[in-house]
Amino acid sequence: MVDKLFQNLTRISAFLILLIVAWIFVVLFNQSTEAMQTFGLDFITKDEWAPNVDKFGAYAAIFGSVASTFLAMLLAIPVAIGVAIFLSEIAHDKIKGFFGVSVELLAAIPSVIYGMWGLFYFVPILRDLTGGMGIGLLAAGIVLSIMILPFMAAVTRDAMNTTPDILKESAYALGGTQWDVIKDVIIPYAKAGIIGSLILALGRAIGETMAVTFVMGNVHKVPTSILSPTTSIPVTLANEFTEADTSLYFSSLFGLALTLLIMSFVVIAIAKFYFLRKARRA
Amino acid sequence: MASIIDIKEECALHVRNFDFTYKGAEAPSLKKITMPIAKNSITALIGPSGCGKTTLLRSFNRMHDLYPGNKYEGEILFDGRNILDPKEDLIHLRTRIGMIFQKPTAFPMSIYDNVAYGMRLQGIKNKTELNDRVEKALKDAAIWKEVSDRLKHDANGLSGGQQQRLCIARAIAVEPEVLLFDEPTSALDPISTQGIEKLIIELKDRVSIIIVTHNMQQAARVSDYTGFMYLGDLIELGYTEELFVTPKEKLTQEYITGKFG
Amino acid sequence: MTAVQKRIFINKLALVFSTLSAVIALAFLFWILGVLVMKGVSALNWNIFIYEGAPPGYAESGLKHALVGQLILVGMATGVGVPLGILAGTYLSEYGKNSKLANTIRDISDIMMSAPSIVIGAFVYAVVVIPMGHFSAWAGAIALAIMMMPIILRTTDDMLQLVPGTLREAAFALGAPKYKVIMDVVYRGAKAGILTGVLLGVARVAGETAPLLFTSFNDNFFTTDLNQAMPSLTVTMFNYATSPYEDWQQLGWAAAFILSMFILGLNILGRLILLTRKKGK
Ligand SMILES: Nc1ncnc2c1ncn2[C@@H]1O[C@H](COP(=O)(O)OP(=O)(O)OP(=O)(O)O)[C@@H](O)[C@H]1O
Ligand SMILES: [Mg+2]
Repeated sequence: MVDKLFQNLTRISAFLILLIVAWIFVVLFNQSTEAMQTFGLDFITKDEWAPNVDKFGAYAAIFGSVASTFLAMLLAIPVAIGVAIFLSEIAHDKIKGFFGVSVELLAAIPSVIYGMWGLFYFVPILRDLTGGMGIGLLAAGIVLSIMILPFMAAVTRDAMNTTPDILKESAYALGGTQWDVIKDVIIPYAKAGIIGSLILALGRAIGETMAVTFVMGNVHKVPTSILSPTTSIPVTLANEFTEADTSLYFSSLFGLALTLLIMSFVVIAIAKFYFLRKARRA
Repeated sequence: MASIIDIKEECALHVRNFDFTYKGAEAPSLKKITMPIAKNSITALIGPSGCGKTTLLRSFNRMHDLYPGNKYEGEILFDGRNILDPKEDLIHLRTRIGMIFQKPTAFPMSIYDNVAYGMRLQGIKNKTELNDRVEKALKDAAIWKEVSDRLKHDANGLSGGQQQRLCIARAIAVEPEVLLFDEPTSALDPISTQGIEKLIIELKDRVSIIIVTHNMQQAARVSDYTGFMYLGDLIELGYTEELFVTPKEKLTQEYITGKFG
Repeated sequence: MTAVQKRIFINKLALVFSTLSAVIALAFLFWILGVLVMKGVSALNWNIFIYEGAPPGYAESGLKHALVGQLILVGMATGVGVPLGILAGTYLSEYGKNSKLANTIRDISDIMMSAPSIVIGAFVYAVVVIPMGHFSAWAGAIALAIMMMPIILRTTDDMLQLVPGTLREAAFALGAPKYKVIMDVVYRGAKAGILTGVLLGVARVAGETAPLLFTSFNDNFFTTDLNQAMPSLTVTMFNYATSPYEDWQQLGWAAAFILSMFILGLNILGRLILLTRKKGK
């Protein structure tokens, strides 16, 4: 009796997660139908976002999300791989332990703090260096890259650490240098895991709200230069959700949320099911 | 108290008063080892688990240097020079003293690239020379016939025994003077084991070989000299036929008759 | 230069480069940490814990409202998310095992863990805030609980699977029913691991701002009414930091510092528990 009850309790809890995910999709879809019916494909291809005349095209926000994430990845990937190599192959044990834990703890710092630092400390410097407002695509890309760096470096290091010692030793035994071993053995061996980790970080970056919302500008325009203020999906949601005054405006915001959810689902699923699963099998 | 025979032939390596201590360890794992290694012959190292066979083997190519904090004392002479000298050029040393590990260690690249790897490290770029030497190494390692039609395939598609022979090919392709084997057949089936043993015997014309093994029959089958180690000491080094039949030390006697270990 | 010399040179270059990138990365990260500590500590004083929010320019303004609100929100989310997560994890490890269904649930949870948190906020807005007609602590706590559940589920699943099967068999052999075996043997064996998972899960969710923006919203005054908007450290930090008032910005940094210390503390505690467990074995 109790046995069955307990089993059913656990089963219901487990199903709940599937239910919630399905429910999220259904709700976002329902809420955004009005926008989709009104604008059709224009919703994602047009960049006019004009609440005063009830016109909503999400292209600028989508572009901003993709561009800021791309920029962040471009900056973060080489540095993260460098840090991962340092942590797994170069640093002595003590440094390795200290910096390794520091990096992991930094990954746990709330992202809103990266945003505050960006606004108060980084944007002014950028403004002095580049002229203009400081706030914009470049600032968002850089702050985002710093925010995902600890996570990215930690998971990349973990992937590199899966290389068996005996394989590395074999390359050293042939007269390889440390770099030879890294580029010819560790990186090829851990390739799937490394790529999977990088994409997982991308998935995080694309849905990140608080690190960029201060520094992006929330201007619904496709940026004309890397310094222009623009917006992204999460930034638009954070700034406008509580201000929406028409049902179409509202529905359009839900349309944005759905777009973002699908984008991140696809990215994370690729990382998980293609690369990381392959890495685990190897 | 140890009984070490005097080797009359030329020696490839000479270990003298050698102590080795792992990082953080209180006592040395190898104690005052003195041991000649004859040239162009096979020396087997036997002894119970944890006696220091692998530790000694990995000293010959300074593998322990990959992990900071380990300490060598004493001498290992190679070509008249002490290779334990901190200034020793390890890259050069390791191209002259090759190593085969307990498990096959095919690199994540093609069969061809695996064998060519060591040569490329030495800067050999010439296609024909590489092709010739890869082919020769694969033939010498008795695996050419099995892989000649799929040199560009991933090396991890080969069986365990094939991979181990590939690793041997990779090691001999750079024409080392000494080869170190650490239980090279412990992960293999009996047929593959036989093949590797045969190969090792064939190789001794060209290289001096040191092989660590847990299998006394294997030591008896392949080696010319056998060293018996116990708790970090080299107890006895002798001709293989003599050591297994008339050991000079009581401990050796007890070990080979299965009284312990 | 011979090929080998060239290789040694490239090796040095590469090692210098990756060390350099590590130094640069850590410099940036410690810069941020430094700002957080300097700004945060200099803004700390007792008023923060005594007073609630006040208009800019008031000396008697603090963060009591946000601290209490944060505790209520995270506490409620933990109260819901942790038991559900543990039960669901138990299902995967003890009943579902390697079935297709169980693996699907694992995959979906993995994806959910990295899903954009602001989208969860939008979802909860649609299903809780709209029907209620106003923001509420309930909505915020539900959003956080939805984020917490997959994290707890996955760690519980992993930790339970680490408990050796022989232990379960031994208990079954004594005639214990399955739920008893799970409660008395499996949970006990995985206690430290589950606790660590819970701590890390709470830490992860406690730092979230985005899902609260339009669920629990914010309030500048102290409240314990779960049916009303509730202040939180994260949203308060967001609002104060973006305000043009110096004293509010100060309070924002103080909030950032307090919250970060709380989260780092949970993380370190979680690690220590795992570490001592490993040592004990
Ligand atoms: N990395 C290490 N750090 C500290 N001590 C070690 C290390 N590796 C081995 N040892 C110790 O050194 C001693 C010799 O070990 P070694 O691996 O050389 O033994 P072995 O004869 O090869 O044993 P086996 O037959 O099991 O391979 C053992 O007591 C072992 O515990
Ligand atoms: Mg050994």
